Amino acid sequence: MKRSELMQQGRQWIRSPFARALLALICIAILGVIFNADGAFYKWSTHRDMFRQISVFGILACGLTVVIIAGGIDLSVGSLVGLNAVLFSMLTIHCGWPAAAAIAACLLAGTAAGVSSGGLVAKFRLQPFIATLAMMVFARGLAKWISGGQKVSSAVQQADGAYSYVETPAIFNALNARIWHDNVAVVSVVFLVCLAVTALILARLRWGRYVYAIGGNEEAARLSGVPVKATQLLAYGLCGLFSAVAGLCQAAQELQGDPEAGVSYELTAIAIVVMGGTSLAGGRGGVGLTLLGALTIGYLEKILSINAVGEAARLMLTGTIIVVAVIFQKGAKR
Amino acid sequence: MRGIGKSFAGVRVLDDVQLTLYAGETHILAGENGAGKSTLIKILAGIYTEFTGEISFNGRPVRFKNPQAASALGIRVIHQELSLVREMSVLDNLFLGRELCRYSMLRRKTQREQAAALLQRLGLDLDLQRTAGSYPLGLQQMIEIAKALLGDAVVLILDEPTSALTGIEAEKLFAFMAALKERGCALIYISHKMEEIYRLADRITVLRDGRWIGSERADALPRAEMIRWMVGRELTGHFPARPALVPGAPALLRVTGFSVADPAGKRDFAVRDLSLEVRRGEIVGLAGLQGAGNSELLLGLFGAYPGGVRGLMEVEGKRLTPGSPAMAIAAGLALVTNDRKQTGLIADHSIRWNLTLAALRRLSPAGWLRPRRERACAADYLERLAIRAASSDQPVATLSGGNQQKVVLSKWLATQPRVLLLDEPTRGVDIGAKHEIYELMNQWTAQGLGILLITSEMPELLALSDRILVMHGGRVTAELSRRTATPEGIMRAAMGEEAAA
Amino acid sequence: MKMILVVLMSAFLTTGALAQKSFTIGMSQCNLGEPWRVQMNADIKKSAAAHPELKLIYKDAQNDTLKQRAQIEEFVAAGVDLLIVSPKEAVPLTPPVAAAFKKGIPVIVLDRRLVGDQFTCFIGADNRRIGRAAGRWIVEKLHGTGQVVELKGLMTSTPGQDRNAGFRESIKETGIKVVFEADMKWLEPDARKEMESALARFPDIKLVYAHNDPGAHGAWLAAKAAGREKDILFVGIDGLPQEGRTYVKQGILAASFEYPTGGREAIDAALSILNGKPPAKEITLKSKAFTPENIEKGGEELP
Repeated sequence: MKRSELMQQGRQWIRSPFARALLALICIAILGVIFNADGAFYKWSTHRDMFRQISVFGILACGLTVVIIAGGIDLSVGSLVGLNAVLFSMLTIHCGWPAAAAIAACLLAGTAAGVSSGGLVAKFRLQPFIATLAMMVFARGLAKWISGGQKVSSAVQQADGAYSYVETPAIFNALNARIWHDNVAVVSVVFLVCLAVTALILARLRWGRYVYAIGGNEEAARLSGVPVKATQLLAYGLCGLFSAVAGLCQAAQELQGDPEAGVSYELTAIAIVVMGGTSLAGGRGGVGLTLLGALTIGYLEKILSINAVGEAARLMLTGTIIVVAVIFQKGAKR
Repeated sequence: MRGIGKSFAGVRVLDDVQLTLYAGETHILAGENGAGKSTLIKILAGIYTEFTGEISFNGRPVRFKNPQAASALGIRVIHQELSLVREMSVLDNLFLGRELCRYSMLRRKTQREQAAALLQRLGLDLDLQRTAGSYPLGLQQMIEIAKALLGDAVVLILDEPTSALTGIEAEKLFAFMAALKERGCALIYISHKMEEIYRLADRITVLRDGRWIGSERADALPRAEMIRWMVGRELTGHFPARPALVPGAPALLRVTGFSVADPAGKRDFAVRDLSLEVRRGEIVGLAGLQGAGNSELLLGLFGAYPGGVRGLMEVEGKRLTPGSPAMAIAAGLALVTNDRKQTGLIADHSIRWNLTLAALRRLSPAGWLRPRRERACAADYLERLAIRAASSDQPVATLSGGNQQKVVLSKWLATQPRVLLLDEPTRGVDIGAKHEIYELMNQWTAQGLGILLITSEMPELLALSDRILVMHGGRVTAELSRRTATPEGIMRAAMGEEAAA
Repeated sequence: MKMILVVLMSAFLTTGALAQKSFTIGMSQCNLGEPWRVQMNADIKKSAAAHPELKLIYKDAQNDTLKQRAQIEEFVAAGVDLLIVSPKEAVPLTPPVAAAFKKGIPVIVLDRRLVGDQFTCFIGADNRRIGRAAGRWIVEKLHGTGQVVELKGLMTSTPGQDRNAGFRESIKETGIKVVFEADMKWLEPDARKEMESALARFPDIKLVYAHNDPGAHGAWLAAKAAGREKDILFVGIDGLPQEGRTYVKQGILAASFEYPTGGREAIDAALSILNGKPPAKEITLKSKAFTPENIEKGGEELP
């Protein structure tokens, strides 16, 4: 009796989205063991580097998790990475702002962009897809406009067209470094902080519960006194804020602000959220799942990379594995 | 069907159930919600394909691989939930999934002719090109029925078809069912309405807790006996007695000159210049046929149409402008809507999350959730309203209709309201749970709450209301006291006859 | 808004041209999203500034073939005196250019080729030749032996294919071995990612050959994070002032091979055409190598 109860619980756990996402990750890890590229997969640096590479996408996925649970979608996150990377580089390198002021300005700009998308959705009842598509195009244009279409780096063009060279601000190197005896990239720590903040919001704040409620059934939530518009505004605002954080990390890792940075990052970030098991229909999911999704995609890319798989094969394999993982997730039960 | 069994996730929901159906009979399938009626018909209709036991059809054993296979043999189901595509035309809905084609081109003309003939037989006057969603719920239900009758139905299964129909629409349906019977069609009918059951039944099969209790000819099974089969105990009277009203009780809710713009935009007003009062401890019944505006009145009072309402409104003597549901909740109002699935519950979420949603401001001071408080609150209401659930973490969708409704009621009680606005609180709820809800309403009024109640079931309205307001076309056409109200008087006023109060 | 402005301006300039006997040149750029092409426009602007009789109008097709086609037709309709086209694709853009050419408008085709000969003059650099030069330089630098990583641009693009093929020709039958190659799609973050994988697998990498400078820079960032940037040489292509040449100056790259924009040469050709002295049908641009030794002197021209 006791034993069958345990088995029952085990069966239920296996069907949960978390277990499914974990199994997908384990499957990918097994692939890594099989195709270990002469032992490269067993090196600690491989895992460390994988985690660094996935950090920017993971930060975006954190914000997207909130928006998707709220029943929306945000396509503008990739463009906001480019915009904020450029803005941050302009302010610190060209305008000579102190790092703290530049960071604050970028976070503000990102949040403002997110709130604008949210406003289009909440106030004008635009479909999230359309509203954020518009923001995606607009933000990319703004990034190109303020940078003049050029990468913003420590090579500063003078009025006569010649270039002078300035020191790269310390904040770039600080964000690009590794800490804890060289074991974790700073951007990965930023990612973990974003994860923790999102987890706290979703699990511990009243507003987090409202996010689930409007995603689950907007009308029922509204009639239960949930401030639907304010909740949407905050969700998109948070997503914009995290996009700005990702933009700073991107700039730091490239040591420059590239107006083309982050192109199509939104797709990878959405794939991470969905592979984790957060439903695109809204109302269900969580940021723990997003971490598993990020690790799965990160390891997949890493394994393809260390084995030097050709680009065409990579695209086909990635597409196939995303589909398989999502089908696997679809069988999951709450 | 013999020895039918079915399990979900290890839980046995049907166990050794049998059902024999003869041509030309109306067979009532009765039982409380959760008794296994829906599961049984889903097996018969080929929706659930994994089960134990056997089905034979015209003496031959059959096993359906999918709903299409059952439909091909003439077994058709009208489910409780509407399955129309609201954005598609009536015509396209009727033929959805079995379009008439020649060389994969739609034969629209043939379809139109067949559909027109069918609607005429049913006595329905509908525009085939209009979208299904633009018709009121009652007519949508009729479209659903028409869809099942398209082609030749041999066995027609109706799962609570009248829950969204007006009296006149239901009469039309019954007449049509009689005609089908004449032609030798077998009908399985699921209903919770006692009057309907005894009016229609040739034979009755009762299920309880997934088991077959018995099958009997209707004239050999008295009502009291059937109810005992269903609930396993004898109910003392159908409705609990209402205690007498305290004279001179103060008004909790006072509304003067209240108008609500028609949310569908078809007419100018859904509610026009209406005044009413709900006193402490009083149940005021709101009667009216479809389109009378009573649901819109409740939604308007609750702030669901900000900017769409006019008039004065006072809760416990304090002015309230209906700006948002949140404001209404803060003022002490609570609204149980008439559609639990669409507007009452978040089906994916747990009982606890649903139960605490409206009261979350109180339960999470300074914006921080307090899981322990939430758990305590949920446990408290699970016990007080006798909600049958394994734990408050269970998804609310897994509960039976009656228990779901009790979760909705708990959600609103948790906001500590002064006035309850109840729109069809017993819709889709089995008899046992209905009874419990009636008693709860008595308890609440005894505690000093006021209730404004909409119900389309006449006995319920007459038995529960201290006062009845009858609405027609957005106005009150009659106000009747408990003693002066008669079904005929209410129906007259509901159909637009101004009655002397 | 921008379109209207351009149309108004071109109308104004055309009428002005007749009065002052000056010339209007339309410049159709296929994609200003690439820094190299921004540089091309800047080079044209800089050279044209010395000739006040030249009035230039720039249009950006934003990487859209049909948009570029429409913009070429707009220039023809506006009656420009000369057309400079840096086409996105050969086949679909050949007809509109040929139509302009047949109407008597001289056309200079920059960087990418068109089909046939219905234009006045083609100016472009040879990626294969640059790849060969880079390969020869690398063989010499490494004394003909060592492990090399190749970070390729988009291998579905002609520049990527040519930079790869030229390099491979030069290292054939030498001791240089490409131990790791990956497509980094011209993108710096991707180059960094691929280089991290290469570093994890091969402890003795001598040099990285990247198909563009940002790619080489990305590889350097990866090596720096692994503490191996001192042991490896980084070579890139393009030699833009704010990218490759800067990296060479900062000691990040051991060499950057210029892929010239041809902006200056285009204006020179335009002037000779407008003065009635048509240049050669095809001008192949000379490339330069920038190394820490020669960067202050402005690089060294390749043979």
